[in-house]
Amino acid sequence: MNLKENLLNLSKLNAVGSITEAADYAYNELSKFAKVERMSNLTVIGKMNGNADYTLMLDAHIDQIAMIVTDISDDGFLTVSNCGGIDLKTLPARPVTVHGKKDITAVFCSTPPHLSSDKKEYKNISEIKLDTMLGEKAKDIISIGDYVTFCCEPTELLGNCITGKSLDDRAGVAVLLELARRLSGKNLPINVVFLISDMEELGLRGAKTAAYKINPDEAIAIDVSFGDGPDISHLECGKLGGGAMIGVSPVIDSRISKKLIAIADNENIPCQKEVLGGTTSTNADIISVTRGGVKTGLVSIPLRNMHTEVEVVNTKDIISVCDILEAYILSGGIMND
Amino acid sequence: MTELLKKLCLLDGVSGNEENVSSAIISEIDGHCDWHLDNLGNIIAFKKGKKPSKRRLVIDAHTDEVGLIITDITSDGFLNFTTVGGINTEVLLSRRVRINGNIIGVISSKPIHLLKGDAKTNLPDAKDLYIDIGLSGKTEAEAVVSVGDRAVILSDFTIAESKILAKALDDRIGCAVLVSLLKADAEYDFYATFTVQEEVGLRGVKTAAFAVEPESALVLEATTASDIMGVPPENRVCVLGEGAAVSFMDKATLYDKPYYDAALGSGLAVQPKRAVAGGNNSGAIHLTKEGVRTLAISVPCRYIHSASCVADINDINSAKALAEYMIDGICSGKIV
Repeated sequence: MNLKENLLNLSKLNAVGSITEAADYAYNELSKFAKVERMSNLTVIGKMNGNADYTLMLDAHIDQIAMIVTDISDDGFLTVSNCGGIDLKTLPARPVTVHGKKDITAVFCSTPPHLSSDKKEYKNISEIKLDTMLGEKAKDIISIGDYVTFCCEPTELLGNCITGKSLDDRAGVAVLLELARRLSGKNLPINVVFLISDMEELGLRGAKTAAYKINPDEAIAIDVSFGDGPDISHLECGKLGGGAMIGVSPVIDSRISKKLIAIADNENIPCQKEVLGGTTSTNADIISVTRGGVKTGLVSIPLRNMHTEVEVVNTKDIISVCDILEAYILSGGIMND
Repeated sequence: MTELLKKLCLLDGVSGNEENVSSAIISEIDGHCDWHLDNLGNIIAFKKGKKPSKRRLVIDAHTDEVGLIITDITSDGFLNFTTVGGINTEVLLSRRVRINGNIIGVISSKPIHLLKGDAKTNLPDAKDLYIDIGLSGKTEAEAVVSVGDRAVILSDFTIAESKILAKALDDRIGCAVLVSLLKADAEYDFYATFTVQEEVGLRGVKTAAFAVEPESALVLEATTASDIMGVPPENRVCVLGEGAAVSFMDKATLYDKPYYDAALGSGLAVQPKRAVAGGNNSGAIHLTKEGVRTLAISVPCRYIHSASCVADINDINSAKALAEYMIDGICSGKIV
């Protein structure tokens, strides 16, 4: 599969808790190029050996923003809790998929303008009920603990952009799959481990245990970051189409940042710096403090409407990320710095 | 009926740009009645029955749906918009839209991570939302979108048991029922109007009713149902699955009492609309010329004026059955 096909397929599929289809897909694609193992339901590790006893781990998370059923009423309305950060204001009148005994479409309740105005506060997800449209039959199909996911299939916009759910961080997973394809059969100076990690959205949990297991010498997290919009300060976002965002922060190893930027400059690959004053809210934060410490970098893809089903990325930015990281890996990372 | 409804719901017909819907309706009814388009785009049809009617009856449904209109294009290629018809901001946020029937965009706003204070829990002003079509410059965007273009929020057409989930059930339900009435053999003569611009103030029906000069009117509609969890029975307005809703009064009309009583007494699945809220084309029809005796027959619809309307197929069938009952009663003179 090429980069765009992988991205569209990954966006469409789900991976949360017991729902593993996106992780299954990543496992199958990665297994074409790397020695793969399944560390947990959703965690996939792929290894490609190089010439030196030095391991660079590349991380992207496969888990997604979702919801989980906490209660079912007799007349077929569900109460849900969120798995990861959701803007509750975006839920009313939104169709979603409930993964019960079979997948069903349900819609969040909303009061129309004829009966209400737009003033209320959105503070508690349990107040926004989910209408299964099944009435009393809902309990036959749905159980407490079932997952609920956004159901918008990805589609292409103009200007090389793609919109869909879960592009955070399937865009990063697509980068890993593309890098594995590009590096396959090449003489690698270092070992490369691809970590497709779980539970990032619940607090960087999956990468914590996986990085412990892999015990890399160096790591780079590939995630998404805020894309630009007319209501967003340029200090808070990266420009879509502006290229890979190279993380620069006290928690990021500055040698990695500098080398990534130097590669982009030398090879004329579009890139932009993302400067943060401390932690990055990505797996880089947790990987870097694994065991005795791991030299860790961060490369991000600018993404609009984060944590919604209308996330938007520009495929040119994803290609820039792949181009920079491919050159970085083939140059041995910072093994010799 | 469901197939026709699906076809009509998936067409884009924001007020003033309703030709797709009108054309589909014409292709259905052509050959089954006499019809013409008026200057505003209303379809005005006459159905010849086996017998003349005792009263000049019109049956109306509106072709438009609520949506968006592009008001400006920013230097970065984003589209500003305003709503056409009443749409709450909460059902606009983070939706996929289709502009001019072919350009896909998304309604964008600041992600929750970057919102501070009250902005986290309170809705933004709808005028601060914008549409992203993927292009990054005004010139590029202007090549594919123009100010004044319409957009709809995208939806599928989903059937779950007896429920339908789709955009534009208001009022493609009415259109589908009216089409099916026109395609069947009629006992009595009647007029039918498929009218434009209901959602921007009952406008199309004003000229259509002027032309038809009816004595009696039936308005086929979808109306607000609030039969959802947490809403007490007295505030539910009407309930899905309990039949067609008939109104005694709304914000635009005090309905003809004998017609209302006849509907409730029909023995069919009928429920009163239990709120004085909203309004429909009855508001314009019943004040036409010297006045028109009017009844609204509505299908209860949850989440109306969003892209996720939910209605019950049984109620649609009940609305059709009630319309047939009222046509027979009014035209024969049994209902006076």
